[in-house]
Amino acid sequence: MTKSKELKFESPSFAERLKSMLGVDFYRLFHTPVFYIFLAISAIIPAMVSAMTMMPDQNGNTMEPLYSNVWQIIAATEPLYVINTIADYANMNMVFIFGGIMVSIFIGHDYKSGYVKQLFTTHAKKQDYMMSKSLVCAFAIVCMCASYFIGGTFAGLLVGYSLEVNVGSLIIAIVGKMVMSLGWASLYTFLNVIFRRYFGISIASSFFFGTGILIIGAAAIVEGLSLPTGFLNVFLYGSSVNACLVSNIETLVICILVSVLWTVFYNALGTHILSKSDVY
Amino acid sequence: MNAVEIRNLSKNFGEKQAVCGLDMTVPMGAIYGFIGENGSGKSTTEKMICGLIPKSAGTIKLYGRDHTDKDVRARVGVLIEAPGCFPGLTVFDNMMLQAANLGIPDAEKEVVRALKMVRMEGAAGNKYKNCSLGMKQRVGIAMALIGEPTLLVLDEPLNGLDADGMRIMREVFLDIIKDGKRSIVVSSHLLGELQKVATHYGIIRHGKMVREMTADELDESCRTYVALRSADMSRTKMLLGCKYSRVEEDEAEYIRVYDATTPEQIVTYLYENGICVTEIRTDKIGLEEYYIDLMKEGR
Repeated sequence: MTKSKELKFESPSFAERLKSMLGVDFYRLFHTPVFYIFLAISAIIPAMVSAMTMMPDQNGNTMEPLYSNVWQIIAATEPLYVINTIADYANMNMVFIFGGIMVSIFIGHDYKSGYVKQLFTTHAKKQDYMMSKSLVCAFAIVCMCASYFIGGTFAGLLVGYSLEVNVGSLIIAIVGKMVMSLGWASLYTFLNVIFRRYFGISIASSFFFGTGILIIGAAAIVEGLSLPTGFLNVFLYGSSVNACLVSNIETLVICILVSVLWTVFYNALGTHILSKSDVY
Repeated sequence: MNAVEIRNLSKNFGEKQAVCGLDMTVPMGAIYGFIGENGSGKSTTEKMICGLIPKSAGTIKLYGRDHTDKDVRARVGVLIEAPGCFPGLTVFDNMMLQAANLGIPDAEKEVVRALKMVRMEGAAGNKYKNCSLGMKQRVGIAMALIGEPTLLVLDEPLNGLDADGMRIMREVFLDIIKDGKRSIVVSSHLLGELQKVATHYGIIRHGKMVREMTADELDESCRTYVALRSADMSRTKMLLGCKYSRVEEDEAEYIRVYDATTPEQIVTYLYENGICVTEIRTDKIGLEEYYIDLMKEGR
């Protein structure tokens, strides 16, 4: 005889839901080859940029070195919103471009495979999804920053650049950029929610925003008008640039504030959009 | 209390109204066969029940609660179109992810139980991308079964299943509802298979519920007919056509007479016209024919 069962309608708390979703997303991240490919790219790119400085020019002469210091591969010597040479641009901020592409591929698979459909038919909330994705993708970008740091430092030492640096500022710059990963990850998660049906556009838009071209353009106008550029730090790219080799504790505080505020904004907006539109 | 109670449900995609004023009631312990043509609004309705797409108007209640209530949503197992699995992961890993999302404490044991129910425990280590279509559907049903859901919403779960797979699914469905508290909403175009298990039916057309009935009511609604064969089929058909208003030849090459009559009357009539009946029986139309007739009425 079948034992009659009582119907119970209970579901895990917010913390339990987020914990299980984070567990799933971390599992997926570590089982996604794309993550490891981008870690490798993050290490190789600074090495390639450094190696470029070793190449002879058309006349056979050695080119003017891009950097004079190993740590300039990691962060610019000062906040340079308008770039004049590749050296002004080629530092750890490039990770946010690769990170955007990686995040787009990672989240794009959620939609391509139909996983989100499976997920949102459970008790999972859209807010949980945005938070979990932002945190896991931020972790992935932080790992890429670490990978870039190792690759850049190793390449810089091989080329023979100077090691002279204000260690405190360097640490703050690195930590600041890592903190900014959360804001960037939220932006990319949000872009992927908006363009969830268009995988290619998700990647292209992440790349576009990751380059910081909007802020670079805005900075050129602002500098042309001889206005102060400090307000650009309220944007993700601006704050990422601000974390440089002359950083101080104030820089880190700005990075934390900007990153957290944009994360809250993008998460709230993404949750709203997911709630009001067809998930699948 | 009903498992699903939908009132005046509507869904618009821009100008197009996919579902308009739909009412639907799925009692507890029912296997609800949800039937309709392609594009009639079945999948859209099921997606709204599961919370995948927001409704434009109306109410959806699951076990007396709003369908967005996260507690009740945790007890809904779903397979819409195809399972949402990562191709590069194994069947087992994909199911473990779903179990984790559901917050199942003893996930491994639960996944094994669900796989066993659909006789897929042997394929647990296979990569999902290497599974056949039928296996993928069974994985999808197994995923829907994780956590012993109170309500199962299955959209075309029988697609791609072989005869054995369909038999297993029938057994699974009947096993689920045996305690009288769990319910299944299943849409399928395989009406013959559906008729073997469904206890209730809902027929939808152009986003509106055309008819809702129990299996017993369907049985009563299905008209009887006399099916026969004779030595001269074409002349038999012609003669019967002169006397009865609806005479058709079916796929198995039997002549069917749908008007209320008895086999004896037909045999006598044909004998008087020099035709010897070789085979005759009375039967009832099935769900498929009932559905086709109903669709014809609406055109």
